[in-house]
Amino acid sequence: MRRSSLQITLVGAVLLVGIFATGAVGAGASTHAVAPKAPTDKTMPVESDAGATKAAAAKGPQRLSPALGLGETLFDENCSSCHGLDAAGSSLGVSLLGRGAATVDLWVSSGWMPLAVPTAQPSRGPDRFTRAQTIAIADYVASLKPGGFAIPSGAVSGANVSEGQNLFSENCAGCHTITGSGDALSGQLNAPSLHGLTPTMISEAIITAPGNMPRFYPGALTAAQVRDVVAYVAKDIGHPDNVGGIGLGGDGPVAEGFIGLFIGVGACLLFALWVGDRSEDEESTDDALKEAHV
Amino acid sequence: MIGEIALYSFIVLLATGVFLTLYFVPSGQDVVYHGVYAPLDGQTVSAAFKSTVDLSFIVRGGLLMRQMHHWAANIFVGSIVVHMLRVFFTGGFRRPRELNWFIGVTLMILAIMNGFLGYSIPDDLVSGTGIRIAYSILESIPFVGSYLATLLFGGVFPGNGSIIPRFYVLHVLILPLIIFGLLGAHLGLLVKQKHTQFKGNGAREDNVVGAPLWPTFMIKTTGFLFLTTAVSILLGAFVQINPIWLYGPYIPFHVSYAVQPDWYMGWLDGALRVMPSWEIHLPGHMVPNAFFPSVLLPGITFNIMMAWPWIEAKFTGDNVEHHILDRPSQRPVRTAIGASVLAFYFVLFGASATDVLANYLSVSLNVVLLSFRVLCVVVPLVVYPVTYKICTEMSHTRGAGKRKRYNIIVRGEDGGYSAITAEEYPGYGREVLEPIDVDSVDLSNVMSGPEPKSTDGVYQIPRDYR
Amino acid sequence: MSNHHGHDGTKDANVSTDAPQFEVLAKNPRRVEKAAALTFFVSLLAFAGFGAAFWQNADNEILGGTLGVGFLGFGAAMVIWGKYLTPRGPFEEERALMEVTRDAHDKLVADFVVRGRVAFGRRGFLGAMLAASGAVFGIVALFPLVRSLGPLPKKSFYQTKWRRGSYLSTVDGRRLRAADLLPGSLATVFPEDDLGGALSQTVLIRVQESGNVVTMPGRESWGPEGYVAYSKVCTHAGCPVGLYEQLTKQLLCPCHQSLFEVTKGAIPIFGPAPRPLPQLPLYVDGSGYLRAQSGYDEPVGPGFWERGGTT
Repeated sequence: MRRSSLQITLVGAVLLVGIFATGAVGAGASTHAVAPKAPTDKTMPVESDAGATKAAAAKGPQRLSPALGLGETLFDENCSSCHGLDAAGSSLGVSLLGRGAATVDLWVSSGWMPLAVPTAQPSRGPDRFTRAQTIAIADYVASLKPGGFAIPSGAVSGANVSEGQNLFSENCAGCHTITGSGDALSGQLNAPSLHGLTPTMISEAIITAPGNMPRFYPGALTAAQVRDVVAYVAKDIGHPDNVGGIGLGGDGPVAEGFIGLFIGVGACLLFALWVGDRSEDEESTDDALKEAHV
Repeated sequence: MIGEIALYSFIVLLATGVFLTLYFVPSGQDVVYHGVYAPLDGQTVSAAFKSTVDLSFIVRGGLLMRQMHHWAANIFVGSIVVHMLRVFFTGGFRRPRELNWFIGVTLMILAIMNGFLGYSIPDDLVSGTGIRIAYSILESIPFVGSYLATLLFGGVFPGNGSIIPRFYVLHVLILPLIIFGLLGAHLGLLVKQKHTQFKGNGAREDNVVGAPLWPTFMIKTTGFLFLTTAVSILLGAFVQINPIWLYGPYIPFHVSYAVQPDWYMGWLDGALRVMPSWEIHLPGHMVPNAFFPSVLLPGITFNIMMAWPWIEAKFTGDNVEHHILDRPSQRPVRTAIGASVLAFYFVLFGASATDVLANYLSVSLNVVLLSFRVLCVVVPLVVYPVTYKICTEMSHTRGAGKRKRYNIIVRGEDGGYSAITAEEYPGYGREVLEPIDVDSVDLSNVMSGPEPKSTDGVYQIPRDYR
Repeated sequence: MSNHHGHDGTKDANVSTDAPQFEVLAKNPRRVEKAAALTFFVSLLAFAGFGAAFWQNADNEILGGTLGVGFLGFGAAMVIWGKYLTPRGPFEEERALMEVTRDAHDKLVADFVVRGRVAFGRRGFLGAMLAASGAVFGIVALFPLVRSLGPLPKKSFYQTKWRRGSYLSTVDGRRLRAADLLPGSLATVFPEDDLGGALSQTVLIRVQESGNVVTMPGRESWGPEGYVAYSKVCTHAGCPVGLYEQLTKQLLCPCHQSLFEVTKGAIPIFGPAPRPLPQLPLYVDGSGYLRAQSGYDEPVGPGFWERGGTT
C-alpha cells in the first residue's frame, strides 16, 4: 500500500527530529557539569602491577572511632588497604608521603579515588565524601610527612580572564582542546574534560601535575598566571558562551559535519521527497494483468 | 532535485555572503581586541578575527548570517556529493552528458576549496592550524612546492601577512565567479539536453515526460528554494557552528587538540593520519611524507572521477546516447565499484576523528589508528562483492525494489475472471494517465470571445473577454 | 510544429484543454487553497515577527526562528500550490537527439576546410611566428603574478633565528634559567630576536633533576642539567607539537597523532611523522641562563623537495 509522499516526508521528519533530539541530549549530557557517567578519565597509568585482585571496596564514610581523628579514621578505613596504614604505599598503591594535601584533595574530590579495583583506571565522578571529610583526609596525609602543596583557596578575584585565555591556549589546549573537552593521549590514557571543575580542583591540577600532565608550577607559570588560568577555566571553559545555540559539546567540525549532513542535507532530501514527482514503475498495468494470468 | 538543493544553498551563500562582506575586514594586521567578549579583551588579534567576533556579538543579525552561511556551505557541499552519487549510480553521466559531468566534478572541487578558504579567513586557532597544514602540503609538492608555498604566503611561513587577504579575494570573488560561470554552463546544458528520466510512464529515449517547466515546476521549485533556505536559517538559529570566539586567534605556536577540518576535507585529514611514515629520499632531494595522502591521493581521485564517463564507455563499449536512467541494481559492476570507492573515502573520513573516537570509546589511540589502517583496505574489498551480490539478487528477483499494487480479481457474469489494478491506496483516487503531447493541445477554445470593436481607433474590450 | 508522433506512430489527434491532465491534483481544490493561504498567513506573521525581533535586537534564536518559520511557511505554501493546484499532467515533449548526422558533420568539416584553406593554407611561417610570440607572451604573462606575490625561498627554509649564544626566552621576553623549571615541566621558547616566531618555536623540557640528557650518540653535551630542547614544528605537516606526556616522556602532535620519544632524540615511534624533531643543542652559561650552542643542524618542520638527505 503506497503512502503519499507527504506521509513519507512526515515520518521521515519525525525520525530526523528524534535522531536530532537524541543527539542533542547526548551532546548536552556530555557538556553537563558533573556527570556521573562522564567518559573514563585515565590520566594515571597503573603504577603498581597487582598480581592479586584484592577487592578493596570503597565502603564510603564509616562511623568514626572516638580515639582517632576524623581524617585518620577515614584514611584507615578507605585508603589504607592499598596505600598502607602509614601511607607509605604497598604493591597495590603508591606512597602518599610528602605528596601534600593538594594532591590528595584533587584525587579524592575528582572521584578518582578511592579506587575499588587497584588495577582499574581511575574515572571521574562525584566526591565519595563530604567536603569536610575530604579535607580531613588530605590534612591527615599531609601531616604524616611534609612536602607538596597545601589545598589552594581557588580564589580568582582580580584574575585576568583574557590573560588566562591566552595562557590556556598556549599551555593547555594542546592536550585538553581549546574548548576543554579533553581528548585521548597515547595508550589508553586521556587528558580529561575540564567541564564541571571547581576553581580549587583546577588550581590543584595545575600545581600538582597529576599523571601525565606536565609540571606548570612553579617555573613555567607564575602564581598570578595560574590564577588567571584557573579563572578562565572555571568561568569560560566551564560555562562557554554558546551564543549561537546548541553547543554540540565543543567538539568542533566533527559534530558540525554530522549535523550538517544528516540534519541539514537530510531535511532537504525529505523536502525533496515531498516536492518531487515520482517516476512510475516500468511495469505497466498490462504486465500486472499478465502476471495474474487473466 | 538534489542538484537544486545545491543550487539554492549557493544562493543562500551568495546572499548571506554579501552581508558578511559588508562587515568582515580581510586583513592579517594586528589589532587589539576591545569588545563584548571578555576573555579576548586586550589580546592582540588579527583584524580579520576581530571583525568576525564583532560580527558575532555586535552586528545585529550578524551571528545569524555567519551561522547560516556556514551551515549553507556544509549543505552545499553535502548536496553536491549526494547529487554526484545519484548521477553516478543512475548512469546520468553517459553520452551526451560527459561534459556536464566534467563540469559538475569541477564544481565540486571548487565548492570544497571555497569552503576551506571561507572557514580559514576568520584566522582563528582551529582554521589557522589548517592553513599551516595547507602550507606544508603545498611545500611537499616535488619540484615546485617550496616556490608555490612562498609565493602564495609571501615568504616562508607565516609569510608577510597577505595570506588572509589573498584567501579572501579567492573566496569572495575569483572562485564564486568561476562557480557561477560553470553553474550557468551546467544548467544551460541541462536545459538544452533536457533532464534524464527513469523508465516508466511512457518515457522513451526520444521524449521527455512529466511535469512541465511552467507553471508546475517553477512554482514547486520556488517553494523548494524557500524550504531549503529555511533549513539553513533554522540550523543557523538553533545550532552553533564555528564559534571562533571560543577558539581564540591563531597564534603559530599555539595549537588545540581534537582539531579536524570541516567534514568535506575530513578525508584528507584522515588520509594524513593513516598514512604510514614513508618518505622517498633521493640524492639531494626528497618527496616528503605529506605529499602522498594530501596531493597524490586527491589528484588520483579527482582525475579518475572526471574521466569516469570515458573510462566506463571504454569498458562497456557503450557509445550511444542515453536519456533513460539506469536503476543501480541493473548495473552491478558500476554500483559495486561506486559503493566500494565511497566506502574507502568514508573510512578515511572516519579516520580523521581517531582521537575523538579513542576518547569516547575509551580505546587506545594506537589501536584506533591501526584499526583504521586495516579498515581502509578491508572495507572496500568487502563492500564490493556484497554490493555486487545485492544488485544481482535484486535484478534477478522479479519485482524487487518496485512498488507493489494489488490486483483485485473480479468474476464476471459469464463466470470469467478479470483483474483490476487497485488504487494506490484506498481513496487516493490518483489513476495513472497516459502522457499527452503538449504541442498537440487544441487551444482554439481558450482565447475566445467577440473581436474587440474599434471606434475612432480605440478598441473597446468587453469586461468578459476571455 | 509538424511532426507529432503518438505511441503508435501516428499523428495525435488534437487534445483539448479539458483532458484530465489539465485538472488539478487536489480532489478538493478549495480546501487546498485554504490550507495554502493559511500557510502563507503563518509565514506572514513569522516575517513580521522577524521584523519586530530585529527591531528589538532579539537573540539569535528568535531572529532565526521567526525568519526560518517564515521561509518554511512560504515554501510549503508554494509547494502546495505547485503540487495540488496546477495541471497534474503528465505531459510529454519531444526530445531532439543530440547525435549529429553524418551529413551535418561532413558539411561542417567541409566548410571549415574550404574557408580555412584560404586563411591558413601555406602560411606556415606566419603561423610559426604567431606561436612563437604567443608562447613568449604566455610565459611573461605569468611574471607579474608569480614574481611579485612573494620572494623566492632561497635560504629561508634552512635557517631559523637561533644562533650560537641565543638565550631561550618565553614569548613575553623572559630569559629562562636552568633553575627555573622543575623536572616534568615544559615551556615554549624563542630566540630573543624572534619572539613568537613560527619557525623558531622550540619546546624546552626538563626531563630530570640533573645530569646530561644524552638523546643520541654525538649529542652528549646537548642536554645539560636535565634539559632537552626540540623544534616545536612537527616534521609531518608543521603543527606545533604541544602535547607533552610527562610520565611517559613523549611528545604527541595533536594534529595527526605522531608520537616522539623525548629521551631518544625525538624519533617518531608512532603515527605518520617521517623524521625526528630537530634538537637544539643547549648549554648553561655562567649566570645560570639556558642558551643555544648553535642553531638547528637541519631545516625544521615538514620536508620539501630540495631538502634531501635522511636528516
